[in-house]
Amino acid sequence: MAIIEADGLSKTYRVFQKREGVLGALRGLFHREYKEVRAVDRVSFTIEPGEMVAFLGPNGAGKTTTLKMLSGLIDPSSGSASVLGFTPWKRDDAFRRRFALVMGQKNQLWWDLPASDSFMLHKEIYSIPEAQFQSTLDELTELLEVKHLTRQAVRELSLGERMKMELIAALLHQPSVLLLDEPTIGLDVVAQVRIQNCLREYHKRRGVTVILTSHYMRDVEALCDRVLVITRGKLVYDGLLSGIHDRFAGMKLVRLEFFESVPEGLERYGEISRIEGPVVDLKVDRDRVAEALGAILDGHAVADLSVQDPPLEQVIARVFEEGRSDHEAA
Amino acid sequence: MKPLETVPPEANSPASSVPDSIPRDIVRPNLDPNAPSGVRKFYKYIKIFRVTLVERMTYRGDFLLGTFLRFVPMATTVLLWKSIYDSSGRKSLGGFTYRQMIAYLLLTHISRMFSSMPGLAGGIARDIRDGTLKKYLLQPLDMIGYLISYRAAHKAAYITTSAFPYAIIFWICRSFFDVPSWTTIPAYAVSLALAFVVGFAFEACVGMIGFWFLEVTSLLYIVMTLNFFISGHMLPLDLLPRFWANLLESLPFQYMAYFPAIVFQEKIQGAALVRGLALEAFWACFFVVLARVLYARGLRRYGAYGG
Amino acid sequence: MIDRTLRHARLIASLGRYTLAREMSFRGNYLVKLSVELLWLFILLAFYKTVFMKTSTVATWTEPQYLFFVGCHFALNGLIETLFMDGCVDFTELVRTGDLDFILLKPMDEQVLVTCRKIDWGTSLNVVMGGVVMALALYQMNWRFDPVRAVAFVVTFVCGTAIAYSFMLALTSFSVWLVRNQSLMEMWWLFSSLARYPREIFRSLAWAEPLSFLFTYILPFLLVVNVPANVMVRVFDPATVAFTLAATAASLWASRMFFRRALRSYRSASS
Repeated sequence: MAIIEADGLSKTYRVFQKREGVLGALRGLFHREYKEVRAVDRVSFTIEPGEMVAFLGPNGAGKTTTLKMLSGLIDPSSGSASVLGFTPWKRDDAFRRRFALVMGQKNQLWWDLPASDSFMLHKEIYSIPEAQFQSTLDELTELLEVKHLTRQAVRELSLGERMKMELIAALLHQPSVLLLDEPTIGLDVVAQVRIQNCLREYHKRRGVTVILTSHYMRDVEALCDRVLVITRGKLVYDGLLSGIHDRFAGMKLVRLEFFESVPEGLERYGEISRIEGPVVDLKVDRDRVAEALGAILDGHAVADLSVQDPPLEQVIARVFEEGRSDHEAA
Repeated sequence: MKPLETVPPEANSPASSVPDSIPRDIVRPNLDPNAPSGVRKFYKYIKIFRVTLVERMTYRGDFLLGTFLRFVPMATTVLLWKSIYDSSGRKSLGGFTYRQMIAYLLLTHISRMFSSMPGLAGGIARDIRDGTLKKYLLQPLDMIGYLISYRAAHKAAYITTSAFPYAIIFWICRSFFDVPSWTTIPAYAVSLALAFVVGFAFEACVGMIGFWFLEVTSLLYIVMTLNFFISGHMLPLDLLPRFWANLLESLPFQYMAYFPAIVFQEKIQGAALVRGLALEAFWACFFVVLARVLYARGLRRYGAYGG
Repeated sequence: MIDRTLRHARLIASLGRYTLAREMSFRGNYLVKLSVELLWLFILLAFYKTVFMKTSTVATWTEPQYLFFVGCHFALNGLIETLFMDGCVDFTELVRTGDLDFILLKPMDEQVLVTCRKIDWGTSLNVVMGGVVMALALYQMNWRFDPVRAVAFVVTFVCGTAIAYSFMLALTSFSVWLVRNQSLMEMWWLFSSLARYPREIFRSLAWAEPLSFLFTYILPFLLVVNVPANVMVRVFDPATVAFTLAATAASLWASRMFFRRALRSYRSASS
């Protein structure tokens, strides 16, 4: 049974077109023009219990909007969704007790009070039994190594420490579904890794279902096997992270080391991206790799060779790039 | 009730008196380090005026609801005073007939439209506290000059956008007004212009106290609450017992509401009117100079202690 | 149902505790707020005194009756401001920044969380100050203790608070559509001026009669201070009390519906 299901989920916004100048503003008082913007366009997918899934996409692609519909913050314009068997935007208490949303760019902790006060308030809000509250809190503060910081006013914490506190606040009531929107944004590498580890460990222990959006491929690579790629509000890929190469990267990187200097005429197999002494990097069409290698090995004395996928980050960047240029063209 | 609410006109202006960043093109005309010509210098402030005006007009929803709500206290005020006059059985209270009383209370709204500066002192104090003030030191802008053009723009936007509802109100209430003579009109205009300067410079002075004390908002609350009463916004000062009336008429606060209203009503005429305007001009100069002095001293202190 | 109510009551209590703790860490601020409120009360009383120097009644209210009205208004308004005002004022900001998200995510009633989130202890003593003024008025008019009236007063005072709360909630809800609406305080100040004076002033001019009808029977805001003050020091009319109870229920229900409608239009500003 799927734990999260989205079927044709769409969200359209009406955006007010502001006119220029004083006269325009005056006219705007009486007559306004609006533009329809499709933030999310017929997105469908299902997620099984215990999965960790990443939403990938450029800024403004509709990841966050999708996440907000799944958490019930906004109503979709059309389509349906079910999370834990509930329709999210009905916002049943029973539903809200079983999931959590963490937003890296916002904080819900009380700024002037120590985090522990906010935790106590969460305990009240979620009616968490004392014993469970204590043990979960101990477990999480230990996992994130912030036990000594809970009595300090939140405004005095560093960004990374604050994010850890946010995460603890979100996990206190032991949600079955955890939605994370850019949880590591603005953090340094050490803090990022700490949060990744915590999430992975927590996932292992509790089997919580996680959806994550992130700009950092490192987060995604560290945590998720499955990714959904969204550009311009549309779901363009749903599958394994490794499958992104097959789907979007038409090339493989072939590195050849010759016994002597690099021979002439390699251009006909693919684009040469680097030559250094006897070593050459070639970008070869995925379908032609076997053929090219055969020909090269036949004609030249090759000392060493390797065939690699291009770095994922580059592939994703290209997907985003395409999404954006389509967007501008449209 | 909190005193901030007692600043009726225009309280839906942004809390901050200063936008976070001054648009680049405002500053550009003046980048030439060789003494900018007077016209160009002026142009800069015109630009600030324009940008602010456009920004204000965009938010019509606020504005429409606000306008509708603005009618409510006016209606209840009229009703209250009608009841008071009816119950007292007297024609005139403190020298005001019922008609004059309503006219007076409507006129104080006009006065306050010019003299109230919501958020000005608080904005200055905040700029001092959080160091935004530095922008006036780094960019070729004079803070008081900038703020006064910004405020003038707000006032202009506010007055143009509320001209229509006010016109309706005054048309409905036209029977309360006696048409003033042609000599009164310029005197009234002068009294209003000076009311703007007195209001602006007074609030600026209060804001400058932020150079010496971090927490000014509290002081501000008290001043504004008090001002609501002692400026004559609530009722004409003449209704108060003699001693209090004399005391309040000798303070500068009356120029923010009471004085322009009675000028329009021709309750003050001839030599007394000239003396009143002269005194108002004196207070305007006094507060402007005081604001400048406080600013200069404050900056020195600011420079010494670092922001 | 009972469990849910209890849960919310506990939550409001702990929210009150936290805001009090925070208030106490800025004690100077609290004292200033207090003095501002006191000053405002003095201004109201100065106005009242000035008016009654010129007349012996206003719209059929005698001086001590009117004084009671002023005290009742001050106390009721203080109660509203203490419990709900800050939360409602904040709502605009929550909508603008998108932080309303966090409230919508909580397994609690959104309306309770929004409106009771920030208890402002700075105005809590207004209730006491208003009470003192009311007591003074009762003393001036040699009021003889009447348990029926006293009970009816407490009931209608609570009803008045609930009606005023409903109107505040409705005004608050508007901010979902008017995203830059930073002036709930001002809107409230303007609107609540309806209940600042006795209802009888609406009889002084012909054009006000329909307004009086509108704001009594359709948008029952005129019941807010008038009914408890009337019940205590003027006419005690059981029918009015019954109507006030019905109007309270209707206002609470209607404003709740309106608030929910507003939440559905919330866009959740992203980041």
